[in-house]
Amino acid sequence: MSTIEQTLWIRARPETVWRHFVDPVRLARWWGEAEVDPRPGGELVVRMREGPRPIMRGSFLELVPYERIVFTFGWEPTPGAPVLPPGTSRVEITLTPENDGVKLTLRHSGLPFTLEGETGEGWAHALARLAQTSESVA
Amino acid sequence: MDEALRAVADPTRRAILVLVRDEEVSAGDIARGFPGISRPAVSQHLRILVTAGLLDVRRAGNRRFYRMRRQGLAEAATFFESMWSAPLNRLKQVAEEEESAEGSP
Repeated sequence: MSTIEQTLWIRARPETVWRHFVDPVRLARWWGEAEVDPRPGGELVVRMREGPRPIMRGSFLELVPYERIVFTFGWEPTPGAPVLPPGTSRVEITLTPENDGVKLTLRHSGLPFTLEGETGEGWAHALARLAQTSESVA
Repeated sequence: MDEALRAVADPTRRAILVLVRDEEVSAGDIARGFPGISRPAVSQHLRILVTAGLLDVRRAGNRRFYRMRRQGLAEAATFFESMWSAPLNRLKQVAEEEESAEGSP
């Protein structure tokens, strides 16, 4: 499992950027039509506009006003989108004041595009479980 | 791209990739690594991985050898990058617009 990281600088106060993550009207302006319940355990659902336009379904893990937001990130099954069930990956947004603006850092971890840290042994285990599951289905 | 990500999301296919990550392995040895899965099913997984650009295949006589194609996964990473870069650029734009609207008299 792997992580991507993106950083950008925004000429705005952290409070302004923060509002764009917790207010559905503002979320719709940049990410997609959203339902948002901004408290730990609350849901975040976003109809993403990019690529195969998957519906993102997550829940908030941490909200530190104007500084940090963490939520789980998954997609409802969508043709053309990789399998990424809700709960399997995690997004951390960090806002840091910098040069009359704010530096936004996004870390998206738990993505299925590398095999780093995966060993044959770990997989033997996973496959044993998989075999059991198939048997119980059969 | 989507094809590579769909291919790699399957646990059996990820296990096959781990098996052939560092060395070339014959189709027969790969199948023996998965005793719980039928040989045709393993062959099907191998075909999907080759089509998705994640495996290189070499034929020697009637035997086939597989090895992971590392670029395949690196290309897959760019899919996720692209799912963020466009919206984050929009975020920068709309947040800066709101900020300057508030700042003006």
